[in-house]
Amino acid sequence: MKVNVSKKQIIACVLIVILAIALGVVGVYGLSSRNADSGVKVLHDMRLQAILNTAGSGAVDAYVAAEKQAATQAVRAAGGGMKEVRAATAQAETEARARAEELGIGAVDLSSVDTAALGAALNVMVDAQQAYYAEEARAQAEYIELNKDAITVQEDTAEMTDDSGSEVAMEETIDLSGFVATEEMNNLMAKVDEAYLNMYEEIKVIFPALTDDILASLKATITSVMAAANDTFESQYDRAQAASGINPGTFGMILRQSRTFALSAVGLILLALVVFFYGPLVKKMGVPRLIIGSFFVLLCLLALILNLSLTSQLGNTLVRLGMNGVLVLSMLPGIQCGISLNLGMPIGIIGGLIGGLLCIELGMSGFGGFLFACVIGMAISAVTGYFYGMLLNRLKGDEMSVTTYVGFSIVSLMCIGWLVMPFKSPIMKWPLGNGLRTTIGLQSAYKHVLNNFLSFELFGVTIPTGLLLFFALCCFLVWLFMRSKTGIAMSAAGANPRFAAATGINVDRMRIIGTMLSTMLAAVGIIVYGQSYGFMQLYQAPRQMGFLAASAILLGGASTSRAKISNVIIGTFLFQGVLTLGMPVANALIPGSTISETLRILISNGIILYALTKSGGASRG
Amino acid sequence: MAKKNWREFVRNNVVTIMFIVVCAVCMAFSGYKPNYVMYELFGRLSRNAFIVLALIIPIVAGMGINFAITIGAMAAQIACILVLEWGIQGFGGFLVAAALTVPMASVFGFLIGKILNKMKGQEMIGGMILGYFANGLYQLLCLFIFDNIIPINNPDLTIKGSKGIANTMDLSKAGGMGGTLEKLWRLPMAQATLVFAAVIALILIIGHVRSHRKNNRKLSMQLSVLALVCVTMQLPIMKDLFSMVQVPMATFGIVALLCLFNVLLMRTRLGQQFRAVGQNRTVANAAGINVDKVRIIAITISTVLAGWGQLIFVQNLGAFQTYGAADQVGLYAGAAILVGGASVVRATNTQALLGTVLFHLMFILAPAAGKNLFGDAAIGEYFRVFMCYGVIALALVMHAWSSVAPKKKPKLTDKV
Repeated sequence: MKVNVSKKQIIACVLIVILAIALGVVGVYGLSSRNADSGVKVLHDMRLQAILNTAGSGAVDAYVAAEKQAATQAVRAAGGGMKEVRAATAQAETEARARAEELGIGAVDLSSVDTAALGAALNVMVDAQQAYYAEEARAQAEYIELNKDAITVQEDTAEMTDDSGSEVAMEETIDLSGFVATEEMNNLMAKVDEAYLNMYEEIKVIFPALTDDILASLKATITSVMAAANDTFESQYDRAQAASGINPGTFGMILRQSRTFALSAVGLILLALVVFFYGPLVKKMGVPRLIIGSFFVLLCLLALILNLSLTSQLGNTLVRLGMNGVLVLSMLPGIQCGISLNLGMPIGIIGGLIGGLLCIELGMSGFGGFLFACVIGMAISAVTGYFYGMLLNRLKGDEMSVTTYVGFSIVSLMCIGWLVMPFKSPIMKWPLGNGLRTTIGLQSAYKHVLNNFLSFELFGVTIPTGLLLFFALCCFLVWLFMRSKTGIAMSAAGANPRFAAATGINVDRMRIIGTMLSTMLAAVGIIVYGQSYGFMQLYQAPRQMGFLAASAILLGGASTSRAKISNVIIGTFLFQGVLTLGMPVANALIPGSTISETLRILISNGIILYALTKSGGASRG
Repeated sequence: MAKKNWREFVRNNVVTIMFIVVCAVCMAFSGYKPNYVMYELFGRLSRNAFIVLALIIPIVAGMGINFAITIGAMAAQIACILVLEWGIQGFGGFLVAAALTVPMASVFGFLIGKILNKMKGQEMIGGMILGYFANGLYQLLCLFIFDNIIPINNPDLTIKGSKGIANTMDLSKAGGMGGTLEKLWRLPMAQATLVFAAVIALILIIGHVRSHRKNNRKLSMQLSVLALVCVTMQLPIMKDLFSMVQVPMATFGIVALLCLFNVLLMRTRLGQQFRAVGQNRTVANAAGINVDKVRIIAITISTVLAGWGQLIFVQNLGAFQTYGAADQVGLYAGAAILVGGASVVRATNTQALLGTVLFHLMFILAPAAGKNLFGDAAIGEYFRVFMCYGVIALALVMHAWSSVAPKKKPKLTDKV
């Protein structure tokens, strides 16, 4: 491969690489000093100062309280009334505070006292605390694992109402109210208490004015500064720094930000690579995939910098890959047979939804119910797909806008259908009034049958083996079909109808087969989606799914006339990855914002627009 | 022969005829009084007619229904937000917003045109997706740029306790622009008809005097029809029908001006170019017309007009949903013009106005009719949404059909 690199590119690369190396060196230095003596000392000193500050203010309080008491007693002895007592205590308090300041009771500086003993006690306590929190996390994880179904509360936030089809956020909240501390945790807690008592003696040496009452009341403040659940170096550092008021200088800053520096260096190196290989990359991936791919990497780095659990986010992405994969796969036969993007896919989705409804109505559950829903869904979609294909055969070349609106109108027609369908199951019907609910829970039917099949833990992430296997199976079957005689004939009919007709292929029939396959896969896709999500969404929900699937396959590198299985997998992974990572990262950067939702609208529609601009339109005429 | 003409007529206007039937059925079952329906209808007409008329030029220029008018609507909403922020009062605020809409919508229209030129033949779907995409950008602007990067000082505009523009913009507070255009001049129906008839008669006569071919018979016919309409409107039965209607003269005057603009524009050189490009891009290009430029101009005009249309819409309602008001504009306007008998390649003022009347009649009547027929208002609501999409789908299918049918003759692709 010959790479043409312009001078500007080289200069930019060199500059970026120099910056990256500088940042990387600083970052690695910082990271390594965190465990070295000098780094440990910074944090240690800050913690000590924090304790001294807290205890100091406690000492002042104790001193003032003593003075106040003395003043009160003096007034009482002189025979004064309540009024005089109050005046005297107020005066004593101001005076005592001024004197405390003068004497320097509260303000003890680190360098002025010998802190060796206190430091040793502190280290013991921090270790004990950390052991406690580690044990707590482990015990809680165990508790969640044991009582998974009972305490997981899945919330579905409002139905999709806006036209751009906002996806309902998957929110799982875990109810820990039933959790009780284990024996081990109690033991560790006792150790923490013991360590605090030791330290307490040391503090008393420095601040003789302190009383036991005040010292005991300082415990909560001091322990919360030292350690917390899910602690990281950065959060420890921030807390200690805020409590101590020490300005740690450049070295401290390097320590604090070393992770950010190191990760930024990695990001910059990647950027330099992209700049260097810009030409071939754009050629191979296209501008949008390059942008969104880089964006994905950026999100991963940001997640690491912000200390979000990257592995669990990637695990979520994997779940979403399997969940949406089949829906995206259903675009492929449509593209290959020449009907372009099948934006009328909701027609197939409706078939799948009816299959799911029948499954609930007949009280089926587990794998049987899932398969039943798939078979019924595919049967219905095969019929609708056949007629839909016939319609499309009469409008060659104009499919996309027509299919969109045909899909939309069928979805809204089915809204009336959902209202009048004679289903009886109380799971599905509104408790009051007519018709089916907008979201129907699948707990009683086939929720998570694939997700939980053979699932296992890896690096703390649950791998939904069954889901991924099913997706892989679907991909494999479609791949196999595409290599069969019919499949090849279908691709030929899509690529060049005239030539295909000349070689004796029945183009219209091939287009109908492709359309049917697409709608049938959409039916299976929505059932897989539902089993993973735990809900079926009726009414307006299916309307925008065609767009999401289309943007995913286009993102994977398909065009409006050519697509491969790899496009499906890559596209779904990238698309879902950006969405899954985007939400927590955006929330960490701008709390409570909906920017990830905006992002989804921009990405999914932007990618379709890009594909459309590539699909045709000479400059003139 | 007459029979064939009749069938042809039905075939060409099947959507309109279907809609008239639907409206008649809905009217029969809705249980509304006619004068109430007229009141509602005139309210909706004054809000919606302008934006439907904004669709005509791109259709003539061969770009189909411009679903990207949502972007023009967004420009108008941004202008409204700015006017509220600056605290410009009353009708002045409306005028400033209208003026502000022009540059914004022109820039947006230019960009839309540029993009649509890259997807010739796919303009409608492209315009729709562009609308969705722009909605994302609009959210970005209102949630993350306004009030964060660009400070917003009016506390009524921002979300309480958070950043960004609030969900509802209230235009009808004291000194707001809400309803100011309507309040300029209102007349009962009978008098309003007289005024409009007089103006139309004047225009017709001027046209007649200036025209080279003096067609006296046509003029007298037109004038007598006008006179007849005026007289009919003075009848007690008609007065009863329109008893609740107060015609907002300024709004309908603007709509009439836009109709006139559409007619006159088509007679200019530019209008001829629109038509030439719409009929055949290749031929137009060969004739020395800069096709891309003409298409950009068509979309730009349409976007600006749509912006004004949305402005009329929101000031009439007196409030708007910041994040949802523009979404459905393209859908409703597109469906309305198709209901009037327009196709994706042909549209006139009459079709646009007729379509608006029928479409909104259905919108008013469907929920009540659904409730009375099926005992559930939701059915009527879903039915009208279905009709919106269904009408567009049907019009697109019929258009695709008629343009594909002649090509099928060689039978090359059929059963070989």
